[in-house]
Amino acid sequence: MSQVNQTGKLTADEIALYDRQIRLWGLAAQANMRSAKVLLINIGSIGTEISKNIVLSGIGNLCVLDNHIVREEDLGCQFFLEKKDVGKLKVDVCSPKIKDLNPRVNLTVDSDSLANKDELFFKQFDLIVATELRKDQITELNRISRKLNISLYVTGSNGLFSYIFVDLIEFVSEEEKLKTGRTTLTGEISSNRTIIEVDTRVDDDDPKKIFETIKTRNSYKPFDDMLQTATLEGKLTKRQVKRVNSIVPLTISYLTKIPSSVEELHKNTLSTCDKLGIQSSTLKDEYIQQFYKQANVEFAPVAAIIGGAVAQDVINILGKRQSPLNNFIVFDGITLEMPIYEL
Amino acid sequence: MSRDSNITKIIGEENLKKLRATKCLLIGAGGIGSELLKDLILMEFGEIHLVDLDTIDLSNLNRQFLFRQRDIKQPKSTTAVKAVQGFNNSKLVPYEGNIMDTSQFPLHWFGEFDIIFNALDNLAARRYVNKMSQFLSIPLLESGTSGFDGYMQPIIPNETECFDCTKKETPKTFPVCTIRSTPSQPIHCIVWAKNFLFAQLFAADVAVNNDSENKDWGTTDEDEIKRIKQETNELQELQDIILSGDTTLIPNIIEKIFIHDIEKLLRIENLWKTRTRPTPLNSSQITTDLIDRNLDLSALWPIQDQIQKFSSITSKLMKRMKEEDNHIEFDKDDEDTLEFVSTAANIRSQIFNIPLKSVFDIKQIAGNIIPAIATTNAIIAGLSSLVSLRVLSLLDFAKITKPTDLNMVFTAKASNISQNRYLSNPTLAKPNCNCPVCSKVVRGVMNIQSDMFKHLKLKDLIITLSEKYNFDTEELSILDTTGQRLLSDFDFDSLDEKTLEEIKVLPGSVILVTDETEDNNGMGLKPLELYIESRKIDSRKTSDIELPDIKIPFVKMTTAEEEHNESSTQETPVLQTNEVITLDMDDNDKDIKKRKLSDESSEATQNKKSKQEEDDIEIIEEDDIIELD
Repeated sequence: MSQVNQTGKLTADEIALYDRQIRLWGLAAQANMRSAKVLLINIGSIGTEISKNIVLSGIGNLCVLDNHIVREEDLGCQFFLEKKDVGKLKVDVCSPKIKDLNPRVNLTVDSDSLANKDELFFKQFDLIVATELRKDQITELNRISRKLNISLYVTGSNGLFSYIFVDLIEFVSEEEKLKTGRTTLTGEISSNRTIIEVDTRVDDDDPKKIFETIKTRNSYKPFDDMLQTATLEGKLTKRQVKRVNSIVPLTISYLTKIPSSVEELHKNTLSTCDKLGIQSSTLKDEYIQQFYKQANVEFAPVAAIIGGAVAQDVINILGKRQSPLNNFIVFDGITLEMPIYEL
Repeated sequence: MSRDSNITKIIGEENLKKLRATKCLLIGAGGIGSELLKDLILMEFGEIHLVDLDTIDLSNLNRQFLFRQRDIKQPKSTTAVKAVQGFNNSKLVPYEGNIMDTSQFPLHWFGEFDIIFNALDNLAARRYVNKMSQFLSIPLLESGTSGFDGYMQPIIPNETECFDCTKKETPKTFPVCTIRSTPSQPIHCIVWAKNFLFAQLFAADVAVNNDSENKDWGTTDEDEIKRIKQETNELQELQDIILSGDTTLIPNIIEKIFIHDIEKLLRIENLWKTRTRPTPLNSSQITTDLIDRNLDLSALWPIQDQIQKFSSITSKLMKRMKEEDNHIEFDKDDEDTLEFVSTAANIRSQIFNIPLKSVFDIKQIAGNIIPAIATTNAIIAGLSSLVSLRVLSLLDFAKITKPTDLNMVFTAKASNISQNRYLSNPTLAKPNCNCPVCSKVVRGVMNIQSDMFKHLKLKDLIITLSEKYNFDTEELSILDTTGQRLLSDFDFDSLDEKTLEEIKVLPGSVILVTDETEDNNGMGLKPLELYIESRKIDSRKTSDIELPDIKIPFVKMTTAEEEHNESSTQETPVLQTNEVITLDMDDNDKDIKKRKLSDESSEATQNKKSKQEEDDIEIIEEDDIIELD
């Protein structure tokens, strides 16, 4: 059972194991996932969730890069870790647990520092998921991922709040949906997305059902560009602008510069509001306080939600189905709001 | 720093103490249940009681991350509890059993919990737990997923919408004639093969269609009805062949159902005026080759392979009949039964010019399989555990002023509803004033001393009830809502002299008591629903029956007709009659949350306004099923 079959068709065992998801995305997508090579940087609370989800789903090759040691506080948010593991290297503890989730995965771990890794290392992968990094690390990683044309997901926790940044450089997605009265037209649909082709297909079983196959080109920006040029002006209606969640400017402000006090966070976030084109009155005081207090705090339920969303998108782009996330998502664990902005 | 330092930063020390003293009930240890168990443990819930009746299957392992190959066939609840020991810090209590079993889980047992998390996979259990939460006023976090789609809904009894406040989708049915005479889609042939052919040949002690006169035939054509009836009788002969065990007669079966029956159909000219005529098999296609070969289950087999496989699998099933007491039930995981149904359906499809399907695809339709993935379950479970902090008032900086401030969630991006929201998060609605579960009745618990069920008569109960609540005995009706039976009313009193035990009003029963008196304005007392619990013998108590102290409100009474309409839409028992052929929903229910799409471009996602809009547009079509894992 545990033999890793890297090429050709899925075996009958694999089809039985992945039955419930093949019914969703088909055999071809499942086979694509098996040949994918994914790098996960840092296995914290979100990293743990992502590794669980993609390994269960049948990703063929996963490498985990993390040089952290297990701390006592990690036990409260990472289910691979046990009390006896405190003081050990995280990757050493997690490796057998990940492997046990799905023995078919070809898993490698690396406890080297991210800073020591060169292009040759990153070149091995189709896709990188990076968690809990600082701005300078993200910028450098993104420079390399762009140069090597590798898809990049970046995500991190701030207690009840979290974010996802996506840079797939350029990605053409294909989606199928039931045709409604209105025919889908080609052309730009938003600042980062353009429909380039629309085909129709009649359902095999029911000739009355007609599907549209829509090809969409998604364009992306590097992380640094996004931070510098992010604006919501012209992208939202007046009503929407008034309702922008405080977590949006707070997250961007925090990613741009880590403040040394709550006052500094407040001040920086006010100028972020300006740049984004949203009114500073939308900024709620209790959110500023809590964001500062909870910055970088890992929390299991939020990790499950964000880890689920990132893993789902990774699976979607490997299986080439559904349009990918584009390009900045925040989550507010209080109202459960999770808007997607093209910044 | 310690294990709890992160959660302390979020909820504070005082609230962490409260969380550690919180006792929660988690129902279901499947896809959402495994995820919830992990989340609740890491959040430091004090006690988690986990209930599941199921055992682990290979197809669970793509998402139920606590289970491994080595655990297959083991019970889910106890296996899950063992699997989390490494990171667990809570008191965990597993139960193997059906949550609807009133002897294992009586109402007072539910009463021990501060909050209930539903992680169920069927409508009946969801409804039942919803009702228990209403009886006890315990907050319930309801959730479900189907493929990429998922939802999570907090239910605060008496304050917000309950599970039954919105309509749930009922099983899909087909008229008899579509299935038996004029199929036009693969599903028609699959239903024929499974619910008609297979059931008649191998599970034959199920009564043969008794042809009641008011049956929904889907046609008024006398010839056709006559033909269907005759065909049913002739099936008896086929059944005899199956029971004889004589496999050399298999070609006769094929000849009968795929040639003769089709030829008879062709003679009913009326059927083919607007339809393509079917083409019966050619007798030269019938084979005597009964060797069972391994074929690729996800491929489409040519018709000749279908016929050969049908023959060999029929032979296999005939042999099994002898060993299995002449009775085999269709089971999607029993490959012989699945291949029989698949090949029979495909041969019929070929005859009616309908596209064939692979065994893999037919398994999904015949077995009511609902796709399920790890990611959606993780997201929904994360949301459910997260919102529990606000439900339990443990987020001081985000206190709710009223329960309708809480949010429910639907997947938006993954469900193709929106490109600019990953989740849609409307605030909760107030209870639907027409909801038969939460709004149209008053609820309470009645305690009866355990030794009295065999002595107390229904009449005694009626008198006690009338004295306590000032009911008019003459106008009182009592209904057993568990079995949907009338126990007593103004012109039915023959059970009044029977004991509670005799009429099966027992611990765990739920009765509905209605005083049908109406004043001139059509006002009357709201019906009273009572859950019956058994009380230990206690000499200090003077009465055998203890009734709850409830003030029953005076309300506008519904007429019998309205009542009837309601029960036909709200209650959806799977059809018991033979009127229509129903795809059974025993495995996974097709329960849909009908929700709307808030207008994307105009950003109406927020609260009240969008709530309104949400009530107008249904986003999920009948084929898209929100499921439940």
